[in-house]
This record gives sequence, C-alpha cells and structure tokens, in this order.
Amino acid sequence: MSGELLGKRTQAHLLVSAFYAVTVLLLIASCWLFVSNLDQLFPKPAARAVAGMSKWKTAGPSRSEFGGGFWRDAAFWRSVNLTVVTATGTMLLAAAIGIPAAYALSRYRIPGRSAIDILFSSIIVLPSSSIGLCLIIMMQQSPLFKLQEATGLRLVYTLPGIIVVQLVLSLAMGMSAWRAAFDRVNPRFEQVARSLGSSGWRAFVTVTLPAAKPGIIAGLIVAWVRAAAEFGGILLFCGTFAERPAGSFSSAARLLHVQQADPLSVSMWAQIEYGNVEYGFAIGFTLVLISAISVYTIHKLGGKTFVW
Amino acid sequence: MIEIHGLSIDLGEFHLRNINLTINDGEYMVLLGPTGAGKTVLLECIVGIYRPHAGRILVDGTDVTRLFPEERNVGFVPQDYALFPNMTVKRNVAYGLRARRAPDDEIEPKCDEMMKSLGISHLHHRLPLNLSGGERQRVALGRALITQPRILLLDEPLSALDENLRAELAAELVRIQRSLHGTFLHVCHSLDEAADVADRVAIMRDGTIVQVGTIAEIIARPASLFVARFTRARNFLNGTARPAACGCRIDLANGVSLAADRCTAQGPITAVIRPEDVQILNGAFQDTDGVIRGRVMSLRAKPMFTEILLDAGISLVVLDRTGRTQEAHVGDELLVRVPPEVVNVFPRSPDA
Repeated sequence: MSGELLGKRTQAHLLVSAFYAVTVLLLIASCWLFVSNLDQLFPKPAARAVAGMSKWKTAGPSRSEFGGGFWRDAAFWRSVNLTVVTATGTMLLAAAIGIPAAYALSRYRIPGRSAIDILFSSIIVLPSSSIGLCLIIMMQQSPLFKLQEATGLRLVYTLPGIIVVQLVLSLAMGMSAWRAAFDRVNPRFEQVARSLGSSGWRAFVTVTLPAAKPGIIAGLIVAWVRAAAEFGGILLFCGTFAERPAGSFSSAARLLHVQQADPLSVSMWAQIEYGNVEYGFAIGFTLVLISAISVYTIHKLGGKTFVW
Repeated sequence: MIEIHGLSIDLGEFHLRNINLTINDGEYMVLLGPTGAGKTVLLECIVGIYRPHAGRILVDGTDVTRLFPEERNVGFVPQDYALFPNMTVKRNVAYGLRARRAPDDEIEPKCDEMMKSLGISHLHHRLPLNLSGGERQRVALGRALITQPRILLLDEPLSALDENLRAELAAELVRIQRSLHGTFLHVCHSLDEAADVADRVAIMRDGTIVQVGTIAEIIARPASLFVARFTRARNFLNGTARPAACGCRIDLANGVSLAADRCTAQGPITAVIRPEDVQILNGAFQDTDGVIRGRVMSLRAKPMFTEILLDAGISLVVLDRTGRTQEAHVGDELLVRVPPEVVNVFPRSPDA
C-alpha cells in the first residue's frame, strides 16, 4: 500500500516537473527568438551609407543586406500606418455595432439568441482564410456584386476591403467580451436607477457602462489586436498592395500615407516569401510587441476574465 | 394611496393572478408569504419593471400601469440594495436628484440632511464595497427616500442582516416611516418581521392574495388552513361540525367535543386552535363547556413560555405563558379549556 502511494506521489512530481520544464523551454525559445533579432534594430555600416529605402526592388542592397534599422524604411512605416488605421477603424465599427448588440443579447430575450451565440462562436473558430474565401464569394457572386457595380464601391482587392475582413473576426471576439461584461452587471442597477427618475439611456451611461468598463475596454483591445493580426483573410480578399502602381491609390490613401503598403501581418509574410527573412522576423517582432502590450493592458485594466 | 385592481402576469416560473390590494396613505403594509408566492414580482410590477397582462395600478388616482419606471415616482429598495458600485455613498444618495435635474445648490444640502437623519454622514466618501450590511441598507434607503416617492417599496430589506441587527433596523424603518408620514410596502417571509413593522399585512400564496388584515386579525381569524399554518397555528384537529345553539359543535376523536362561536363549515372539517389560546385551568371553574382533561406527554421550557403536549383523547399543544405549569411533570393530569371564540373551522382538505 505505502509502495503504491509512493509511486503515485513520484508520478505526480514527475508530471509537475515535466510541466515546468516545458514551460521554461518555451520561455527560453521565445526570448531567444526576440534576442536573436534585436540586431535588426541597429543598421549595419553598409546600410548607414544609404539614406533610405522606399523601393526594395530598385535600391542596391536587398532588405536582408540592408542590415537592420528596419525603422528607417519608409515602407515599414506605411505598413504600420495601414495596420493602425485599419485596426482602429475596424475597432470603432465593431464597437458601434457590437456593444449595443451585446447589451441586447445580455438583457433581452431575443428570439434566436442561441443561434446568434452559435454563429459568433463559429466565426471565432473558423480559419481566417476561409472567412476571406466566403467574403469573396459573397461579394462576387451574390446580389452584393450588383450593388457594388451600381454604387461604384468595390471592396474586393481594395484597401477598404481590409476593414471588411477584419470586422468579421473583431466583431465576433469583441462581442464575446462585451456580452460577458454586461452579463456581470446586475440588471437591478438599471432598474433602481430608472425608479429614481433616470431614463433608460441615462441609466445605461451613468450606471451600466461604468460598471462594465473593464470588460468593455478589454473587448476594444481584443477587437483591435485581432484586426491588426489578421492575415489569411486579407491575403485572399484583398491581395497585396506593395507592388501596385502608385497612381492606383486614392488621394485619401496618400493623405494617410498608406499607399503601396500591406498590413504588417501580410508584409511579414511577403518579406519572408521574397527571401528577406530577417526583415520578416523584424516585422513579426513588431507584431509580437503590439500583442504583448495589448495583453498587458488588458491584465492591468482587470479585463482578463472577460477575454479568456 | 396605491390601488391595484385585477393585476395578472405570467412570467413562466412566476405569475400573479387577479391581485386586488389597496394601500392607504401613511400606511406600513407588509406583503407576507413563502418563497415563490409572487411577492417580489408584484413589487416589480408596481415599480414598472414588468408590464402586467391584465389589471391596473393606480398611484394617487393616476393610472401608472403603462408608464415607464422613471415616470411613476415610486421608490425601490431591492433585496441586495443594488448600490451603484462605481459611485461613493454621497453620489449614490444624490443620484435620484441629479437624474431629475434638481439644481446643484439644492442637491448638496438635501443629501447632507438625508445622510445625517440616517446616521451615515461619516460614510460620504466610501464606496459600497466597503460598507457593512446595515450601512448599505441605510444608504439604499436614503437614495430612495431623497426623491420623496409616493410609495417606498422594500424587497426583503432585513433578510441579509443578522438577527440582532434585524430588530434594530426594523424599529428604524418604522421610525423613518412615521417621521416622514410615508407609505411603505415591505416584502418579507417572516411573521416576526411583519409583526415588528406592519400596520396591515397581505398574505400571498401562489400568485394570489389570500388574506389582508392586521397581524392580530390574521392570527385570530385566518382565512384558510394555509394562513393558519403560515402564522404558526399548531393544533389541526380533524372532526365533524354541526350547527348548534352556541354557533357550532365540533365532534373530535375519542368523544372529545368542542364549541365554536362560528360555523364557517359543516360536515368533515379541520378545527384550528392556537396553542397560546388554550387556557390552563387551576382550581374552580364555572363554565364546563370546552373543558378538556388530559395527561402531560411532554414539557419543553422555552425562554418566554412552556410548551406542553397534552394527550386528551386528541393531541393538543398548549403554551403556558403564566407559569402555572412550573411544578408540572410528564404524566401529570392537566385541565385546559378551549374558549369557543378561539376555534377556527375549515372544510377538511388534502392539505390538512
């Protein structure tokens, strides 16, 4: 009997040790990945001679030979611009649609509520490239195609199309956090506020929203980060923009400095495809930094339980 | 005055059926009943959280049935108090005045006065999370009362408090109600709590009101076996009733016979006799009607009385508040009398 117990205790210790060992290895691997590419921050002597690189095809050294200092590349900052602008636009649209929808799902008995829950959960688990494909079919082979022709507004293979793709996943993920936030706020607060003379809207703004703030902000951050990290759907639905002629971009795009730019996630893939692996790593490093800051912010705001 | 006429609502698990109730100005009314009776649902209909399927609610003659909660001027203190967590005590208390756009120079002094009268001035910068149960109750009261509602609805305001605090705060509620000449509707499931505060009580069961009256009326003359049980009557005796000169003659088991002053049912009946209404006889007695001779089966001394189980051919529970049975023992003979006016007669039902 005591032999069996000892055996079980040893097994438990071994399992715990294995768990810790795997965790430590993963941590070391992640840190090594960051540290090994930190040299990309610093331009090598050959690169210092070059004033700047806007067209990787035409300039002398390739981006890998550029030797670091990716932050000196104007194309990199246009990618950053595009990522920030589209992710922010997507986040605001998702919030405008998703926060009221999440509140309604939380507070009211809407027919088909379960179906809506299943639909949004399904979107979260779908591969984003599948979503991109579905959107292409929807835009090119349904009445929406005729609508686009009639209005002259095209979404497939355009910069605004990036927001359409990002919105699908950002909305689903944001709504998950926002619904959880409203579920946690006691409906009694609003009932009491209204009994005290407050209108429904005022009760929502002065009582419910402040009480749900950590979850709302967590949802906004998740929506933003998901939009910024979107890759497969954008590639399928919009393609790449870096090689398109400068004249094909609108004045709005030039005003925002997003012409001939791909979102960071697509740009990272493109650089690795073209052989500029270190540059690709550097862009990936930027994306990881963005994600890490977002996760830290969510934790700090107490929104962790609304997200995972 | 609050009038409810024919109110009905079906919420699936809970429902109300044909509720009729009048609450007079300045009255402290208690809605009493077991869990699931529909007391809170009725309160929520008056607040405006639910719209009834039938019936009307009138507040001072105005039909408020279709009005939004913010249009009714009805104060509400829910069971969990629902203090706004992101606001300090003072901001909680001031919320109603700000919602009604009272002038800023009015809000501050009214808040201070209300908080002083409730003894919570020292809490003005605290958040609700850091308050005790009694403090939260006072803040919730202050928040509701500051807008001078036409009626204040309290949903089990004392249930979350410990026993010592409960009695103290019950007295406090009555004091506040009297000083403001306010109309209160208080929901609870405890007869003792109702007795501490109520001018009148409405007893609810399964979504209907089964009896309305003062505590004394309901205890003395319960309208049904359910009310008798709920108000802690103990002796439920099956027998047969027939009209008699005195009112009603009740024949119980083993030849025991009692008189009742009213024959509210005949044939198979259940007679209900409260233990505290049975008189313990000591020495000579004039009237032999209702006298029962029995043997003491058990004696239990409680703080304020002795509970005696008597075997007199029927089992009878008797409460002695006079101390006459101090020297009694199990097995002793005891003479008791059941006055006709304390016997309540009901048709026998499967519930008995």
